[in-house]
Amino acid sequence: MQVFKAMFKIVKKRLPSAMVYIIVFVTISVLVTNASSKDNQFKASRMEISVFDHDDTPESRALTEYLGKNNDIVEIEDDKDKIIDALYYKKLNYALIINEGYAEKLKAGETADLFGNYHLDECFSTVYIGQFLNEYTSSIKAYLAMGKTSDEAIALAEEALSVQTEVNMLRVDKGGNSHYSVDFAGYFQYMPYVLISVILAVVCQVLVTMNKKDIRYRTNCSCIKNSKYTAQLFIGSGLFVLAVWLLLIAVGAVLNEEMYTGRAWYAVLNSLIFSVIVAAMAVFIASFDPKDNVLSLITQITGLGMSFFCGIFIPMDVLSDGVLSVARFMPAYWYIRANNMIADIEAFDKDKIFQCYAMQLAFIAAFVTLTLLVRRIRYSGASIGTAVKKAAVS
Amino acid sequence: MFLHILKYELKNGLRTKDLMIWLILFPIALGICFKIAFGSIYDKTEKFSSIPVAIVEENENEAFRQVINSIESSEEPFLKASFVTREKAEKLLDDGEVEGIIFSGDELSLTVKEKGLRETMLKFFTEQFTVRERIISDAIKTSPEKAQEVIAALTENTESSCRDIPVTQGNPDLYIQYFYNLIAMVALFGCNTGVHITIQNQADLSALGARNNCSPAHKSVSILACLAGSFIMQTFCMILCVSFVAFILKVDFGDRLLLVYPAAILGGILGVSFGFFVGSLARVGEKAKTAIVTSAAMLMCFCSGLMMANMKLFIAEKMPWFNNINPAALISDCFYCLNIYEDYGRFISKLINIAVITVIFIFLGFISSRRKKYASV
Amino acid sequence: MENTVVRIKDLVKRYGDLIALDHFELEIKDGEIFGLLGPNGSGKTTTINCLLSLLSFDKGDIEIFGKKMTPVSYDIKKEIGVIMQNVAVFDELTVYENIDYFCGLYISDKAKRRQYVEEAIKFVGLEDFRKFYPKKLSGGLLRRLNIACGIAHKPKLIILDEPTVAVDPQSRNRILEGIQELNRNGATVIYTSHYMEEVEQICTRIAIMDKGRKVAEGTKDELKRMIKNTETITIEILELPGKVLGEVAGLPHIYDADYVDGRLVLSCSGGKHNLTRVLDVLHKHELGFGRVYTELPTLNDVFLEITGKALRDKED
Repeated sequence: MQVFKAMFKIVKKRLPSAMVYIIVFVTISVLVTNASSKDNQFKASRMEISVFDHDDTPESRALTEYLGKNNDIVEIEDDKDKIIDALYYKKLNYALIINEGYAEKLKAGETADLFGNYHLDECFSTVYIGQFLNEYTSSIKAYLAMGKTSDEAIALAEEALSVQTEVNMLRVDKGGNSHYSVDFAGYFQYMPYVLISVILAVVCQVLVTMNKKDIRYRTNCSCIKNSKYTAQLFIGSGLFVLAVWLLLIAVGAVLNEEMYTGRAWYAVLNSLIFSVIVAAMAVFIASFDPKDNVLSLITQITGLGMSFFCGIFIPMDVLSDGVLSVARFMPAYWYIRANNMIADIEAFDKDKIFQCYAMQLAFIAAFVTLTLLVRRIRYSGASIGTAVKKAAVS
Repeated sequence: MFLHILKYELKNGLRTKDLMIWLILFPIALGICFKIAFGSIYDKTEKFSSIPVAIVEENENEAFRQVINSIESSEEPFLKASFVTREKAEKLLDDGEVEGIIFSGDELSLTVKEKGLRETMLKFFTEQFTVRERIISDAIKTSPEKAQEVIAALTENTESSCRDIPVTQGNPDLYIQYFYNLIAMVALFGCNTGVHITIQNQADLSALGARNNCSPAHKSVSILACLAGSFIMQTFCMILCVSFVAFILKVDFGDRLLLVYPAAILGGILGVSFGFFVGSLARVGEKAKTAIVTSAAMLMCFCSGLMMANMKLFIAEKMPWFNNINPAALISDCFYCLNIYEDYGRFISKLINIAVITVIFIFLGFISSRRKKYASV
Repeated sequence: MENTVVRIKDLVKRYGDLIALDHFELEIKDGEIFGLLGPNGSGKTTTINCLLSLLSFDKGDIEIFGKKMTPVSYDIKKEIGVIMQNVAVFDELTVYENIDYFCGLYISDKAKRRQYVEEAIKFVGLEDFRKFYPKKLSGGLLRRLNIACGIAHKPKLIILDEPTVAVDPQSRNRILEGIQELNRNGATVIYTSHYMEEVEQICTRIAIMDKGRKVAEGTKDELKRMIKNTETITIEILELPGKVLGEVAGLPHIYDADYVDGRLVLSCSGGKHNLTRVLDVLHKHELGFGRVYTELPTLNDVFLEITGKALRDKED
């Protein structure tokens, strides 16, 4: 038990930094889960528009008011730099200027050059508002052509424009149940990053410390059996990994506001397999005896790299095919694939999910084999190596 | 003397592994990650491109078909339509090949899968069609003699009523903010070299410091030489970092890349000075100092949007003054100004801010590290 | 030769409630190898750090080469070589570069410096390790590098603070001989240690410190004369009746008699023919004895007698 105790003393030291990851993760998950809406009703997007009315006539004010019905009018200082900032950061989707003489021109049936807009880039939002303005003015023009007064024309045009098309949401029933919603899938989606960061940072550090030349030699001289020593190391690391995983799963259940049911269990199993992968990875990395700074670099790069490559931080469909084909060689890719299927982002297919599990298990086997190899080369017969062999056999 | 110390400071620094790792390898790795993640996200999600749509014709609707054809034949088509059967359309929508399905019957209806701007645009498009139908029927009802004129009013005008006023020549991609902040992060990580200077020169922090203090080298000369050495090394790292981002990752900095370099270098000098300042001020051990400056640097980067790009704007709204003193925000703002603004006014004011903060840090650092004797060694 | 190199007057240094130096006085003359001896925590290192103006102190005056020592006394510092208790070298610089760096802080003439650095390398015997990084050096070699960094510029005053901690006997001997050689070449040396043999071997004058105070000062012989013990007699006897032990203990000049494990140990102070008188008593009682030997006091005895035998484990 001595080894065990020593290990947990080292674990304790690293725990604060591990807790930071977990707390940040949980907080963000809470925010994300609360922010999402679960209704299936289509809602048109509202744009953030600022209007600089240089005409200031009843006609221009009517336009501003009408724009405000389906969009949000944002008050912003008429300062070019501020407008650029707002446009750039997408705080503002459209900066509209109603040119002086808008009402006059409209009455005369001219539609060119009625407006100006501060233009940053050809975005969907600028195209959309541009289309809207064209439609608005040409409708008014049409009514004017019918011989209406401008007041009437505006009123009629607005009435005509208020037509709503019926919009249906496509819901293909794929036989899943809704307990594992897309929102909740996000919780499992980000989990690999936390698992990698926490487990690598703690387990690697502990194993490296316990395996330092001086300590290893001293332990080898002590009366404790080699196998017992390594068994304790393994049980210790395993317990830690299990504890982290259980904690995350428990928090997940609380966030989900109910116990896992049905399909969610696939996600739970998926994350358990991934935890084991990370543990195996930690043992593998530790077998190189990295220095402190190198270890934290490896932790950062593995965590961030896999998250970006495999679609943890950003949806897989935004990633290019080249990136995805590289990502295939990383375990997180298969985790996310499975998670996407469980969350209905891709079609749910039990066999394919089990294929993903199998791929992940293959990674575990690969890491164990590699560890054995490295150990044998670096210091044959050293303590951890034998334990890995035993673990592999059993 | 100055040159002697400088020479060895450089030799020493270049062989420090931590420097290599955190100032060169880590940013490169993170840069690659950013490139993968954000490299094409702007073009894919924000920048306008034709919206793919499936059209299912329930009844013959010649007028609608004509409209679609005329749209598709335009220079920058708004839609990319494919006429398919209902089953095929649903499959396309489910697979994400199209954004929506327009059912053209007596009335147009729309089916979509997500709620977003592109779907809203499709909705608006179908409404547009209905609106025109209605206006024309209104016209025929009320004043049939003017119907022709009305139709002309609706259709003739292909010219946009709205004139674009371009505000920048720069790269409007919001996501390059991440690269700006990455460079700011490298600049601020210079704080670790800054801390190193104080450790080497303070007798109560290291045996080396004690030995250096016993030598006849003037302390201010020795500190200046170390600072100069750190500045040179940081400059090297900054040049490497900017070049990597600009030429290997091919991130578009706008058309004034040459000015990005001095801004980055000045930022790096600010980072070193920050470390030097904290190092000479805080009366704690080496490990604690390094931890303090590194977490401070990360916090600054966080506030400037390294983790979430919107953070900076959020702060600009709540406490605008903070962006003018947060080194990370200042550095990344410099790049932003160079990219977006036509004139140099704001860029120069940011640079001046950086310079002032740097001078303050160095000055205060000097004052507190000129302390002659130590209470305990 | 009788110029005073270092003069410390009435030095007081407190760490909070702890008085580290209690009105400490010291004078070191030109050409001496001055040993500062004391148990852990007695204030040796504190004295050195005050002397070097690294530490602030509460009271007192310190003069080196007849001038007041301050942190900006660069002309004084130029003539001092310091070897600290902790190894102070750059891990990222090689042996040669480290010595060159520190030497360069004192000597700016490049040609002269190159010569000095080479001499220093030869002096500590690191010729084969010029391109090595400190991490690759063994403990003894590292200490030698540490010393080379301190003496390369040929200082007039060399201060060594326990330079031989954790050094094997060969390296230690080499270091001690080196110090004597430096002294022969004209340097004054201040040497702190708690190894008696070292101090006894090389120092010309010694001060013993305890609890921040100087408890004794003088040459080796002067110090030895200070203590009661002049001779220790040990006799191996198989059996010794208590009566005889009492008689032996009662002899003049013998102030302590002990019989343990078949050995009679007698501590004598002054007087002549102490051994003869003891043997006479044994003859009288017809007691046979084995080996007999007498020892003169070592510095160790002086040290233990003056500072007391209680174990010290306060931090230095």
